[in-house]
Amino acid sequence: MAARRLRWLLVSSAASIAGLVLPAPSESQNSIPDAQTDAPSAVSVTLYRDPYRASGSIMLDRLNGFALITETRAVHLKVGDQRLRFEGVADGIEPESAILTGLEDGSLEKNRDAAVLSPSALVAAAVGKPLVLARTNPRTGRVERVSGTVESDAQGGVIFKSEQGIEALRCSGLPETLSFEGTAGLRSHPTLSVRVRSRRELSATLTLSYLARGFDWAADYTATLATDGRSMDLGAWITLANGNGTGFPEAHTQVVAGRVNRENGEVEPIDVGGPIVATCWPRGSTSDIPMQLQFALAGADALKKRGVMNYSAVAPMAAALREVSPPRAQQEQLGDLKLYRIPEPTTLASRQSKQVRLMDRAAIPVAVVYGLELEASENPHVGGAMPASRYLRTMNTDANHLGIPLPSGHIQVFAYRQGRRLLERESNLRDLARDEQVEIDLGPSSDVQVGATSTGRRHRIEISNARAAAIAFELKLRLPDGMRLADANPAPGTKNGRPIFTLHIPPRSVGVVSYRTSSSP
Amino acid sequence: MLFTARCLWLALLAPAAYPADSSLSITIYTDDLALVQERRDIDVKGGRQRIEFEGVSAQIRPETVSLTAGDISIVEQNFDFDLLTPAKLMEKAVGREVTIVRVNPATGAETREQAEVLAANGGVVLKIGQRIEVLRDDGLPVRVIFDKVPDNLRARPTLSVTIDAAHAGTRPASLSYLTPGLGWNADYVALYNEADGKIDVQGWITLTNSSGTTYESAQTLLVAGSPRQAGSPGQQFGSPPNGWHPPGRRPTLEQAGTESGSRERLGDFYLYPLAERTTIANLQTKQVGFLDVHGVPAEHGYEFQNHWLGTSDQPQSAKSTYRFSTSAHAGLGDQLPAGILRFYMRDKRGEPQFIGESRIDHTPMGSTLSLATGDAFDVKVKAVVDKRTRIDERDWKTDMRYELSNALPRPVAVTLRQDGLWGDSRISAESEKSTRLSADTAEWTVSVPANGRTVLTASFDTRF
Repeated sequence: MAARRLRWLLVSSAASIAGLVLPAPSESQNSIPDAQTDAPSAVSVTLYRDPYRASGSIMLDRLNGFALITETRAVHLKVGDQRLRFEGVADGIEPESAILTGLEDGSLEKNRDAAVLSPSALVAAAVGKPLVLARTNPRTGRVERVSGTVESDAQGGVIFKSEQGIEALRCSGLPETLSFEGTAGLRSHPTLSVRVRSRRELSATLTLSYLARGFDWAADYTATLATDGRSMDLGAWITLANGNGTGFPEAHTQVVAGRVNRENGEVEPIDVGGPIVATCWPRGSTSDIPMQLQFALAGADALKKRGVMNYSAVAPMAAALREVSPPRAQQEQLGDLKLYRIPEPTTLASRQSKQVRLMDRAAIPVAVVYGLELEASENPHVGGAMPASRYLRTMNTDANHLGIPLPSGHIQVFAYRQGRRLLERESNLRDLARDEQVEIDLGPSSDVQVGATSTGRRHRIEISNARAAAIAFELKLRLPDGMRLADANPAPGTKNGRPIFTLHIPPRSVGVVSYRTSSSP
Repeated sequence: MLFTARCLWLALLAPAAYPADSSLSITIYTDDLALVQERRDIDVKGGRQRIEFEGVSAQIRPETVSLTAGDISIVEQNFDFDLLTPAKLMEKAVGREVTIVRVNPATGAETREQAEVLAANGGVVLKIGQRIEVLRDDGLPVRVIFDKVPDNLRARPTLSVTIDAAHAGTRPASLSYLTPGLGWNADYVALYNEADGKIDVQGWITLTNSSGTTYESAQTLLVAGSPRQAGSPGQQFGSPPNGWHPPGRRPTLEQAGTESGSRERLGDFYLYPLAERTTIANLQTKQVGFLDVHGVPAEHGYEFQNHWLGTSDQPQSAKSTYRFSTSAHAGLGDQLPAGILRFYMRDKRGEPQFIGESRIDHTPMGSTLSLATGDAFDVKVKAVVDKRTRIDERDWKTDMRYELSNALPRPVAVTLRQDGLWGDSRISAESEKSTRLSADTAEWTVSVPANGRTVLTASFDTRF
């Protein structure tokens, strides 16, 4: 049996090579033809906010929201296997979220190639393959073309092998460059491609949708207080931004309010490539004292930059605020979220922010309330008074000329002084549903000061009003577990489980609250 | 008898499923680990020799390499990771002769000389004839030509095997090894139809390759699980074991299923073979579909969980949840490998819009999944500790008030949970009847009218 086995093995002839190198398997699937795809005929972009920002505006250097991009395009398929390439998808694409509809036979597989065409990628792809080195004589200008192979591109140094021997690229001080045969199938941008099999020739309309990072939006409100301080006008812009290097011309644009769950999955890094750095051997000379070991620092820097999406090139936000500007975004319900549709198709260019009018409401009744929250049992501010906070309050109801969902964002409060409209305070708003209370923090007031004195378990709190008008004041107390108030004057109410004293303090006078704390049950 | 033996031998080396020339099969596990098995014809001479393997993973775990072929014995396996760079090339040339070519900058004339490299520390010191020079000390162009590349310097880390062959000839060989850098997970797309409360679900297998190598025309098998033990080499630091939830993450598997499907298993792991050979390029993300079901009933709901003594001045949004089954008769009818499920819903114009996503673990068939997609804009809960009274030395009474508001034009039901009730605690009074899910958690189902509010109160007697 053993003899038979040996004989069978000997049948194949032997051609022995010394340093035997086994080639990689043949590149069979790269030969799949590309199908013809037209440019997108319709593009829709739906922006979602940064899911971890509950309130406040967007920051152009930190666009942590995302977008759903849907595009429609015509394709022309032949019989058999072919590849559909989608050029011009957003750089921030999350390839695993891509959905393709409209193919009658479905797709075999979807691919996203993150290897892009760059000088370093060209050299990497050329390792072991024939190419030409062109060397220019600096005096005569004669170009010498040497055929050979790149032996290595490890750590940024290029080793070239030709009939003349082995040399390192650009270490001689002579102008040297490589010229390549073809681009090794690499493209300038990460491409999304789909392998499809068609049983017949046909033209089809495909819809591709995917999620992409590097977008964000927020609402930017402007409240203008009436001179009497009893009502305000509220207007808002939708501020949206695209931090991607890809623009979306004439896109149907929507924004979605409400927090959606995101699993912070890793996105496969894009190999953005780099220059051919051609690091050399140590090049110290006799004039270098002390000796400097010049390692491949340039190469290390180039590597560090890989896989980083850089949004620093975003232009500064246009601060233009026009008073009136139809058309407005239209709101509709999307499940448990709010969708705002920008009525006309708009061009969302790369690295651009854009503002669209969200709403304008006039004569909303408001109340200005002063307040402070203190620990009930200790003197909060030994030896001095502290300023009370001022709040602007209203209810988001139809009766108050509101009654609409207010998406989270940033708010600027303006007031008229001597006929001029001045900025009084900037603040943040969270998502507010219909019929919810709206409270805008107007910051501390130096006219209303709160001082506290304690004697044992007796506490006395004085609120001084230096304004020419009477104010409403709310003092909230925080009580430790099991503690209660006794002998309180005036009688406290309860709000959200905590004691609250509501006072009306006449102009230029002092309001007083006194109480005792008790731990007995 | 003899004939049978020969066929058996053939079968060992090249089973009928694989063509004998070059075939590659890859088995990918979910924890950044893959088993690569390759069959190639190798042509060897008799005796000892070195074979290099190109096109293996750049991240290969060399200790897992195994090469088998007929009538050869493995002398040693080497993994060279010293890379070929100009600096290394010069370092290895110390003590050897190189050719230098000077180019005269005025005339362009070339002068060739032989030089011995004396040192390459910081700068290159050459001995030319009897002179000692520093290479390019004057900044003028000098080419250095080496006659060979040192033996174990490579452009990429390279696997080589020294074998002893009994005789020369071509023979099939099989090579297998483990490598990180290849991984997969599932991605699901669920389109929720609000009108009839049903979802259409597509499942995709997403493969990623960052191993530095392209695998051409590979037969691919995906295993829903990881054979690695925690703490074994190559285990990523901080990667959570299957089913582990970071604190605060909402569990998704409401009831584990008990149905078995027809899918093949490896041990207790389900197998997902790809139907066709495929090329997995470096830095590529590849998706292949494996599930497509329509019209699965899904239940939409709202959920709010309050932590013990959780109190707030502002209403907090309830979570929007979707509940569905993976059973064969009224559900998805498959085992679901771990991945992310993305929910979509059509807007007023009929365009699908994204409404949130949730991660799921490996899920057996017949399970009930409850996934949260995000916060409801219009359904909010304000939980308030109304009063906390000390009954005696050890006992406390806590009065809770939950204010539920609904700004939607239709009534909703909110599943409200209060946790932190472990130990000796009971509900002494409540405005609606609760169910005790566990010693720790009480649950109410509260209906809130359209554009309305409901207030729920409960008193807890506790020892803390």
